[in-house]
Amino acid sequence: MTATMHEFRHSAFVAIEDIQLQSALEGATHKFGTGRTDALAEVPEVEAMRDHFKKVRAATLSQLAHHLETFEKNATAAGTQVHWAATGDDACRIVLDIAQKHGVKLVTKSKSMATEEIHLNQVLSKAGIEPVETDLGEWIIQLAGDPPSHIIAPAIHKTRHQIAEMFTKETGQQVSADDIPGLTELARQVLRQKFLAAGMGISGGNIMVAETGSLVLVMNEGNGRLVTSTPPVHVAVVGLEKLAPTWDDAAVWLSLLARSSTGQALTIYTNIITGPARPTDPDGPQEVHIVILDNGRSKLIGTKYEEVLQCIRCGACLNACPVYREAGGHAYGNPYSGPIGAVIAPLLFGLDKYSGLPHASSLCGACKDVCPARIDLPRMLLELRADEVEQRVLPWWESMSERAAAFGLASPGLFKYGTAVIRQLQRPLAKGDKLNLPGKLNPGQSRKTPALAKRSFHDIWQSGELDNKNGGE
Amino acid sequence: MSARDQILNQLRSNERPAEHPEPWRSRRNFPDLAERFTQTLTAGKGEVIRAANFEAALNEIDTILHELQAKRVAVNDTAPLDGLDVTKRWPDFEWFVAGKSEGDIKSFCAGADVGLSGADAALAETGSVVVSSGPGKSRLATLLPPVHLAIVPTSILTSDILTWTAARQGQPGANRVLVSGPSKTADIEQVLAIGVHGPKRFIVVLYDD
Amino acid sequence: MNLPKRVALLVTCTVDQLMPEVGVSTVKLLRRAGYEVDFPMEQTCCGQPFFNSGFRDEARHLAKRTIAAFAKYDAVVLPSGSCTTMIRQEYLHLFEDEPDWQEHARRLADKTFELSEFLVHQAKWDPPQPTESRTITYHDSCHMNRMLGVKEEPRQCLEAAGCTIDEMAESERCCGFGGLFCVRMPEVSNAMTNEKLRQAEDTHAPTLVTSDPGCLMQMRGLVDGKPFKVEHLATVLEEMTR
Repeated sequence: MTATMHEFRHSAFVAIEDIQLQSALEGATHKFGTGRTDALAEVPEVEAMRDHFKKVRAATLSQLAHHLETFEKNATAAGTQVHWAATGDDACRIVLDIAQKHGVKLVTKSKSMATEEIHLNQVLSKAGIEPVETDLGEWIIQLAGDPPSHIIAPAIHKTRHQIAEMFTKETGQQVSADDIPGLTELARQVLRQKFLAAGMGISGGNIMVAETGSLVLVMNEGNGRLVTSTPPVHVAVVGLEKLAPTWDDAAVWLSLLARSSTGQALTIYTNIITGPARPTDPDGPQEVHIVILDNGRSKLIGTKYEEVLQCIRCGACLNACPVYREAGGHAYGNPYSGPIGAVIAPLLFGLDKYSGLPHASSLCGACKDVCPARIDLPRMLLELRADEVEQRVLPWWESMSERAAAFGLASPGLFKYGTAVIRQLQRPLAKGDKLNLPGKLNPGQSRKTPALAKRSFHDIWQSGELDNKNGGE
Repeated sequence: MSARDQILNQLRSNERPAEHPEPWRSRRNFPDLAERFTQTLTAGKGEVIRAANFEAALNEIDTILHELQAKRVAVNDTAPLDGLDVTKRWPDFEWFVAGKSEGDIKSFCAGADVGLSGADAALAETGSVVVSSGPGKSRLATLLPPVHLAIVPTSILTSDILTWTAARQGQPGANRVLVSGPSKTADIEQVLAIGVHGPKRFIVVLYDD
Repeated sequence: MNLPKRVALLVTCTVDQLMPEVGVSTVKLLRRAGYEVDFPMEQTCCGQPFFNSGFRDEARHLAKRTIAAFAKYDAVVLPSGSCTTMIRQEYLHLFEDEPDWQEHARRLADKTFELSEFLVHQAKWDPPQPTESRTITYHDSCHMNRMLGVKEEPRQCLEAAGCTIDEMAESERCCGFGGLFCVRMPEVSNAMTNEKLRQAEDTHAPTLVTSDPGCLMQMRGLVDGKPFKVEHLATVLEEMTR
């Protein structure tokens, strides 16, 4: 998957033309956005709490090796088996090895962006192991063969009719598209059997708490409890930046996460896992594995992009982003969409492959406003654009025209002469204050391109007619 | 070099001194924790029944189990129910007492009508009940049945997640869950649907002790 | 009071070439507020388009020219929130490795103001009692609102001039301009503009006002056929306080 400028534009265009998708996007992002505002407004001193959280995240990343070692030590003491994966492929291999060692044929999964990132499902399927996504939205897009289109609402691009059709095809049962509780109940019945039959559960992780070596998973459906409690083996794949040194830090994290995300004070379930079932426990998995995933993250520490690792994947920036709200998630060409995706996809997966993403922003700054950690995403988009110039990722003609324009603007003489030439050239095309350009030549497409005014402000000023004595007031 | 060393070395090469901020403490001050708990959980589609004392709470449980027409009930053998022989008090239900009953707990819970539990703590701000794993404490009992019924004394109420974590003591067990309502989803066209994977009803009997 | 009574106009390249009447209105407003206005002829562009595209060297070059052109003035006023942001905030970033220039940039930043901000805080603008009233809706341009934090000032000016503001659903939502963004991604950009214009239309106000020439240009490009027009803050204030 990639997202060059051309690919982003094409995919966004398809989304913009899709009236149903537009209304779903607008509805969902608006609902999440207002939910977030209301939920945070209820918290005393919430802005100071966000400042505090940012400090916690920054301090944690400054000493991440130390905190990860503490986590490893405490998790191991609780019986968790900790693995380290430098790349996505390594992580997939570790998970596959565990599955094969236990002769697993069926795996249930709870929603995890990290496993989307490393394409774990494809690897498992290829090895003859069936991975079943159990978050309702994830299951829907798994049946459809689609990537997620929103970090927390992966199936917002699907209508109830499309979903009913897929469910009928999958289960052989007729179900009405207008009966959403019925659709939900059908998913419950089908997936319940999978939970009970699975040999292994795979999850992501919202927070690793170093103090006790615990893993925190948040969810509303309960699938993340079933995945981690029902099968004999639980494997979690977690990005190495998702670390809270203490439970005090984790509590602030949790206080902001769901509020920023869905507008809930807490999700329905906050599931804390500290090792496998103890010998005296009546149930629970016999083995718990945590795969700490690097995949390009550690090299960002100490760079101008380090701040992006403060992200807790709440999705608030997507809901606030006017570009995401039109273009939808698929245009980003990777599991991470919206402003956070536009920054981390080029950083983790390659600027050349995702060269369109740094430009998929009007730099309006709405993302920074809503980010619980106040990550300066617009700043990082600007940095990525500067990197593109430095690494010559931009097409030659674009660099050339930028440089020529800057050269012209740097000289008042050239500037005056150049704009005078354009004034002459545009005459046959100018109609009022707009240019009448033929469709394909109009850079703004349906948007009219402005014509240069008959006289520039420089000309008006120089003419003296603005002088006080000439009625310029 | 192992992946572990490779990653940790990379991180260490850019390690800087950092002052970790002092913990953020709760700014909440609810005049009535039980009232706030009830309001929040009810707003989140959970159900709260208030009882004057433990005995009254048991009577409420009796009523609920009969109203639900429950046949099979899984129960966690833990405070405040651990002193009670449920099979004697309610002989008309088929019981599975975690840690005591013989048989496969997973298949019993998968077919049970109600899971009954106590709680370790309850958070007023978010209407959350904390249930943990441990001896006599099953994870599946509060997860697989369509109804999770929790009996909670008001004495274990704390203000919020910040006060709860601040009061922590020692290493947690294998599993601990904050439950703040019945299972829900809005993954189909943002329409709220209750009971997708976890319990469809979450009923708390909150009694004064 | 030692308020500077002379200000320099940084008209911005967009106003200069595409909508000079906005510059004219700005001059008239500043004069009515009691200021002598000067216009350094060597000014061209603040460099923001190049900075936003990643062409840092080119942006720095234009920034140095701008700093030099305005060095001798006590106050600089712009009819653009976005260019004001460039000078007030981004110049300091641009010269992180050139401390001398950063100091020059800081001096310019300290005396540079967006028009409404200047009118409210520096000029303590107090126009004559309005004789007519007019209903408008106001679009908050992103840089001015989020980076400069100037949200109330344009509204105060508009109200002082006799306007009633009928707020649209999301006045803070981006209009789709974004500098070169509107050329690089015209499909998304136009969809954003159409959403903005739809929200403006819902208010039934006959005029949509904004403080940024970029937003103005963008919205004017798609406003044909809508029952309202798009105007710059300076134009409306000047008309209302004649």
